[in-house]
Amino acid sequence: MPTPDSDPAILAQNLSRIYTMGETRVVGIAGIELEVTAGELVVLKGNSGSGKSTLLSLIAGLDRATAGTLYVAGYDMGSADGAELTRFRREVVGMVFQAFNLLPTLSVEENVCLPALLAGGNGRDIRKRALELLDWLDLEHRRQHVPAQLSGGEMQRTAIARALINDPAVILADEPTGNLDSRNGQIVMELLAELNRRWACTVIIATHSILADPFATRTICLKDGSIKS
Amino acid sequence: MVLGIALGAAVFTSVRLSIHASLDAFSRSMDLIAGHTDRSLIKPGGRLPETLVAELLRNPAVAGASPVLMAYVHMGGQRANPFLLIGFDPLLDRSFRNWRPAPGSPNDNKMWAELMREPFTLALGAQLAAKHRVTPGDTVILGHSRQQAPFRCVGILDAEGIGMVEGGRIGVTDIATFQEFTGNFGQVDRIDLRMAVGAGDGSDETLQAELPEGVVLARPEEERESGMQMIRAYQLNLSILSFVSLFVGMFLVYSLIALNAANRRSELAILHANGASARQLFLLFLLEGAMLGVGGWLLSVPVGSVIVRYMIQGVSETISTLFVRVHVDRLTLSGWEIALSFAVTLAISLAAAAQPAHAAMKISPKEVMAENPEIERTQSAAGRLGAMGLVAVALVFPLAAIPGPPGLPLPGYLATFLLFTGFSLLSPWCLQLMGRRLANPLRRIGGEPAFLAGRYLSTSGMRTAISVGALITASALFCALVVMIHSFRNTVELWAHQTVSGDVFVTPKMAAINQYRDPIPFDLMQAIQQLDAPADLLPYHRIYLRHRDVMFQFETVDLESFRKHGGFLWVKGEPESAAPAFNRGEGVLVSEVFANLTGLEMGNTFRTRIGEQALNLTVLGIVRDYRTRGGVVFYALAPFNAMFGNPEWGGVRLHLDRSVRDPDRALTALVSDLVALSDGRLDITSGRHLRRAILRIFDETFAVTSILLLIALAVAALGIASTLSVLVLEHRRQFNTMIAVGASRGQIRRLVFWEAMLMVTAGEGAGVLCGFVLSYLLIFVINAQSFGWTFQYRVDWGAVGLSVPLIIGAALFSALPATRLIFRIPPAVLLRER
Ligand SMILES: Nc1ncnc2c1ncn2[C@@H]1O[C@H](COP(=O)(O)OP(=O)(O)O)[C@@H](O)[C@H]1O
Ligand SMILES: [Mg+2]
Repeated sequence: MPTPDSDPAILAQNLSRIYTMGETRVVGIAGIELEVTAGELVVLKGNSGSGKSTLLSLIAGLDRATAGTLYVAGYDMGSADGAELTRFRREVVGMVFQAFNLLPTLSVEENVCLPALLAGGNGRDIRKRALELLDWLDLEHRRQHVPAQLSGGEMQRTAIARALINDPAVILADEPTGNLDSRNGQIVMELLAELNRRWACTVIIATHSILADPFATRTICLKDGSIKS
Repeated sequence: MVLGIALGAAVFTSVRLSIHASLDAFSRSMDLIAGHTDRSLIKPGGRLPETLVAELLRNPAVAGASPVLMAYVHMGGQRANPFLLIGFDPLLDRSFRNWRPAPGSPNDNKMWAELMREPFTLALGAQLAAKHRVTPGDTVILGHSRQQAPFRCVGILDAEGIGMVEGGRIGVTDIATFQEFTGNFGQVDRIDLRMAVGAGDGSDETLQAELPEGVVLARPEEERESGMQMIRAYQLNLSILSFVSLFVGMFLVYSLIALNAANRRSELAILHANGASARQLFLLFLLEGAMLGVGGWLLSVPVGSVIVRYMIQGVSETISTLFVRVHVDRLTLSGWEIALSFAVTLAISLAAAAQPAHAAMKISPKEVMAENPEIERTQSAAGRLGAMGLVAVALVFPLAAIPGPPGLPLPGYLATFLLFTGFSLLSPWCLQLMGRRLANPLRRIGGEPAFLAGRYLSTSGMRTAISVGALITASALFCALVVMIHSFRNTVELWAHQTVSGDVFVTPKMAAINQYRDPIPFDLMQAIQQLDAPADLLPYHRIYLRHRDVMFQFETVDLESFRKHGGFLWVKGEPESAAPAFNRGEGVLVSEVFANLTGLEMGNTFRTRIGEQALNLTVLGIVRDYRTRGGVVFYALAPFNAMFGNPEWGGVRLHLDRSVRDPDRALTALVSDLVALSDGRLDITSGRHLRRAILRIFDETFAVTSILLLIALAVAALGIASTLSVLVLEHRRQFNTMIAVGASRGQIRRLVFWEAMLMVTAGEGAGVLCGFVLSYLLIFVINAQSFGWTFQYRVDWGAVGLSVPLIIGAALFSALPATRLIFRIPPAVLLRER
């Protein structure tokens, strides 16, 4: 279990990601200053194209900033090499996507176990942990099914279980309810909130729905790549 | 990639054109020689008396008769290629054949008059005269097994009619000169006839009845047809082999279009969502396939024109050594062959484009929103196809057992086709099974990436199966041909050492090309007999005959002496039980080729006619023989000599005594003695040299095959590479997901390598299995049906074994471009919703 410590979980200074496509430059985010303490539940708001996903992908170590510095759980994201980033993704963050991104050829259980197995853990322990998570998420009866056989809500819960299998300190969710109806959206938001409450995970949710608002410890609003206060 | 198709099309077209050129040259030469001949009289195993001509001319059914003699002779030294010398009566022949002096030569009248009046004069074809720089008035030395003699050239033939036989490498002379030169006084090889206009259907029978014993009435087409027949079997075999390279090219088109469709999948979904009809998408990809086909074909024209130049030489030489003598002087561009190659290339490209086009048509517009795996559908389809594949494979052997028309191995090829189809149909099912069964064991060996690769294999569907099918085809062919060539070569080598045994072979000059019509001259035969050498003499006779359509050689052998030094390779029967009847002259041994081509079996009666003698002999055994141009019938030497009054030898083999102290020196001495006595009229070849030449011809014949094979393998490796690329493109999102949840790049790379490894192992494994079945079909069905021979089955484990790491290495290498594709797009695209 990650324990909250005094260091900020996330620290961004003058963080920018400018996309260049040939001649044209598109601003993803620009000059972001952000400090998130461990155990917070931050809701990122903003219109489509305001830079929410760009910011999350930088925090997740899926992309690199073009300027500024970013520290996540003590990792210097600007200078980490490929191997360090892989270790970071394995140990520090768990991700939940709008499109779920489950692997269609793997069963629910195999999808959940995958990150831990990739990280090289012991198969039996991993399976035990996966079953706990599936039980908790009310997916036990779906273990052997492939994603195509699940409903949207079930897929997203599977994705949450997958994000949790390596006990990450930070959970990043990008429009987790975007492809769900409001009831399932509600369930997913409550689950994310529970993670934050019960296990003190740092949770960042990018969404423009209002479902997350009641659980937020802080709300940040992005506009054209910058934080609007 | 288009180059791959071009290469396939070029090889196919070149092979077809080269064989066509040989066929064309052969039939043209035969037609020119036949001229206006309606019937020919021949005497199998002998010559006709010239006096018969006068009798025939008195026959009312005969409008004209022209006696003809032909022999290959050499000019300007022994090294030069022999050319055909025709001897006839210029007056009697006028209405048969078209020949006149070239413009600038002395006029027509004077030339033929001079040929008749002046002994040892000749007229030469333009090509031959030009090559040896001979002009009218010059004297040239011609060589024949009888003698060498000077001839005066009295004219050059115009480039038409006789002047174009064998591409103008021809000479004509008066019949009397020819007879004197070759020592065949009063004898002719053939009498050509023109039948009277009123002569009805029955005239053949009436005429035949009036002919002396042993003389046969034949149609000039017969000889041409049986020659063409033999070339055609070869044509079919080579065409099918070269078609393989086109066929593998088809997989290239296939993967190219599939790659394209995968690359533009979302674009297509959008097109579809915006109103493009499914049919339009289908046509779009079909058109792309057609363009690849046309482009490949166009590119094949320059490529092919280079290839054909090398091929035409090789093919005509092979045909000359294997079947009938041809001389290709020009490449006839047959419109039909060109249209055929275009049509085949286009059809193949369209067929290859059909499946991906069909798949593109099925891309659901819903994909605009989300990924849409179609796992379940492919699974049941694989099961159905697998069942069909099993049925196809089960039918292979029953089908192969059906006897086909002689010389045309249709059932064999059909069985081969079924075999490939069956294995290809089985491959999706096998892959599925493999992926499912192996995924967990693989995890233990190769960790998570191997497990995931196994999983992908089981669900990757038709496309992977098709690429694996291409690999199966290529590696099966490789394996089968390696086994076949190895078996063939081994058997031929054994045959060469057993049956072509002997330390020195002595024959009349140019004996083989003149079909042994002239024996070893009597004086030379005596000189050889009196030779004081520590060697056994094994004389033999060889007579070229025809049994219905099958040309064969009737050869005499002294079995007892022969067995002291070598022996036959027996397919049926055995030496001990066959020998007594054979030595008494009651039976024959026939070669496997002869038995297969004629349907004669052990115990059957073989009937033939040699000169005046009609022979009815029992087949006592079937033996292997790989000499070219038809089969062989062996008959005992002593009874033959008794029957024909000790005729001169056709040839003789010499075996050094085993007790000789220094065999190499003794051999050298023997050869130089023989050369000294031969007076330039004998060919003297050491056995070692002859056997080496046999194997060299063998290797050259299979060089073409090996090149076709390598092309097929290369194309299959390309196919695997592009399939992997498609796979990576299609799974890019999933790979990025894996990265996002903690996979390292190394793990993803390993996944792709495992994927390649599994595909290649499956393809190679099934391919080798399929290859062994195919090698059996090739040796015992297709070779038996098209050439009449089979071989002792031998597996070259070295080459087969070597092919495994080679192919696997090539495939893994081909995975490299695919792995590079993975990381071209940053994983952050995952956050962009679809
Ligand atoms: N890979 C990319 N290439 C170019 N521009 C991009 C890319 N990803 C995002 N952008 C641009 O960056 C801006 C922010 O995008 P994004 O972070 O996806 O916003 P949000 O998630 O808030 O909708 C947009 O203008 C978008 O067009
Ligand atoms: Mg977004």
